[in-house]
Amino acid sequence: MFNFGIVMAVIVRHLYNFRHNLDRIFDSFYWPAMDILLFGFTSVFIMQRSGNIPQLVTVLLSGLILWTIVWRGQYEITVNLLEEFWNQNLVNLFASPLRVREWILAVFILGFAKMFIAVGFSAFLAYVIFKANVFVLSFWLIPFMVSLLLTGWAFGLLVGGLIVYYGHKIQVLAWSGIFIIVPFSGVYYPISTLPKFAQKVAMFLPTSYIFEGMRSIIFKGVFDFKSLYISLSLDGVLIALGIMFFVFMFNKSKEKGLARLE
Amino acid sequence: MSSNPVLEVKNLVKRFPSSKRDSKGKGFVVAVDGISFSVKEGEIVGLLGPNGAGKTSTIQMLLGVLSPTSGSISYFGKDFARNREEILGQVNFCSSYIRLPWSMTVFENMDVAARLYGVKNRKERIAKLLAIFEIEAFSNKSVASLSAGQLMRTVLAKSFINYPRVLLLDEPTASLDQDVADRVREFLEKERKDFNMSMLLTSHNMREVEKLCDRVIFLNKGKILEIGTPEKLAAKLQTAKVELWIEKNEQKASKLFKKLRLKVEKEGKYTRVEVKEKEVANFLVVLGQNGVDYREINIDRPDLEDFFLKAAREGKNV
Repeated sequence: MFNFGIVMAVIVRHLYNFRHNLDRIFDSFYWPAMDILLFGFTSVFIMQRSGNIPQLVTVLLSGLILWTIVWRGQYEITVNLLEEFWNQNLVNLFASPLRVREWILAVFILGFAKMFIAVGFSAFLAYVIFKANVFVLSFWLIPFMVSLLLTGWAFGLLVGGLIVYYGHKIQVLAWSGIFIIVPFSGVYYPISTLPKFAQKVAMFLPTSYIFEGMRSIIFKGVFDFKSLYISLSLDGVLIALGIMFFVFMFNKSKEKGLARLE
Repeated sequence: MSSNPVLEVKNLVKRFPSSKRDSKGKGFVVAVDGISFSVKEGEIVGLLGPNGAGKTSTIQMLLGVLSPTSGSISYFGKDFARNREEILGQVNFCSSYIRLPWSMTVFENMDVAARLYGVKNRKERIAKLLAIFEIEAFSNKSVASLSAGQLMRTVLAKSFINYPRVLLLDEPTASLDQDVADRVREFLEKERKDFNMSMLLTSHNMREVEKLCDRVIFLNKGKILEIGTPEKLAAKLQTAKVELWIEKNEQKASKLFKKLRLKVEKEGKYTRVEVKEKEVANFLVVLGQNGVDYREINIDRPDLEDFFLKAAREGKNV
């Protein structure tokens, strides 16, 4: 089903690129650090002024760190795809025995590894500077991370499918595409804050169940297992749709020729 | 050279959708229009034609990065669409238009290519190719820092990484200086001889095509105009170019050429006259009979370049 030597080739290609490319290093450390500092100090300020919002720093920073997982999952797929456009490398790759599914698996693995680096780095900063401990989520953190990463990958494939067909002209979606679900995911506020129609949209997003769960654990120390089940089921549907859509759009793009994207 | 075809193309068609509609109401552009050809084991075949003839679309379809509208491609007797990975493992390509990831070094690019093609003993293979193409000194340099010639040699080295049985070459010597281009041509001939490698080559350098290719396929507007050896195609023209430095009776000569309806070009002191190859002797006799004296004479037999120019201009069988 997969030639792991070829999967490794794609991973090695991006690791080499990571080594030489300052903006990819920036992506992994600079922006997460800035986010933690910005949200951390803002929540400390609010705490000092109002003083009656318990766990505010932990809730906001945990939300931010968990959101990084979703964003990272999407970003690795779409930006690695764009890297091949920018480097005029798409034909080199797909005129070799590489199959689309092997490319997808390779970027999944890369996304998984870089997610650990980025989340680990952000969690470390949040703890050292603000004493906010994301590990308060204990073992629930693992299924939360799995669900959020699957959501990121699914949206990465959906946005990647559009990019592989329409090319550079919609490349802005590579960075911004996933943010369409932020308001409905309740990353920093409860879903009940949203207007009714938005709450209905949130019901179909796996992320909303995870962020609600995160707050439930931090505030009450409990989490409803059913929410995780719904979230992972929605992820299953989204990831299947994402893979099908990406492969469909890749094949449609080949009708016009992959070389045009370079 | 074996008679077994390693590559067979049958009725290959590529149509691109277009917003412009023609008089028949068709909303597409035909890039490749039902071409069929084969390449035998150990054979080097030239794919020639003017810009827009369909060469690049054909090569892209042969590499699987452009889907054909209809028709079939098979390598080694196997259908390309059904056996893509197995076939592409034995095929490679080189194009003067292709680029490599610019921030990676030459070695890193070669390493990734070797891994993609599952090459065993990667380091030895890379070292050997870097030596053959004289790019060892740039091994640790980023691709962005290479000159056009060094980059082209790297792309060529990469195309040999998997010991390909079929190599698709799109203007492989376009950006190389004469000396390096000659060595690349020698290397291609040696690879063909040593490993019975087959090649499909596009080039605008007719001397290169004449030197390397066993057969030439001439494309125009997506259709095959001619297939044959370079010599046979050139011979189809049947016209020779007689270049004269006329010393006496130049005006008389001009009138004579006009009377005989011959195509004449003037370049400095030389007059170039197109004469049917078998009538050259008669032509010279007539010149003598009319008192036209010439100081120098040079007779050029038609070559592939003449064929290319004539076919490209006229766009039909020569």
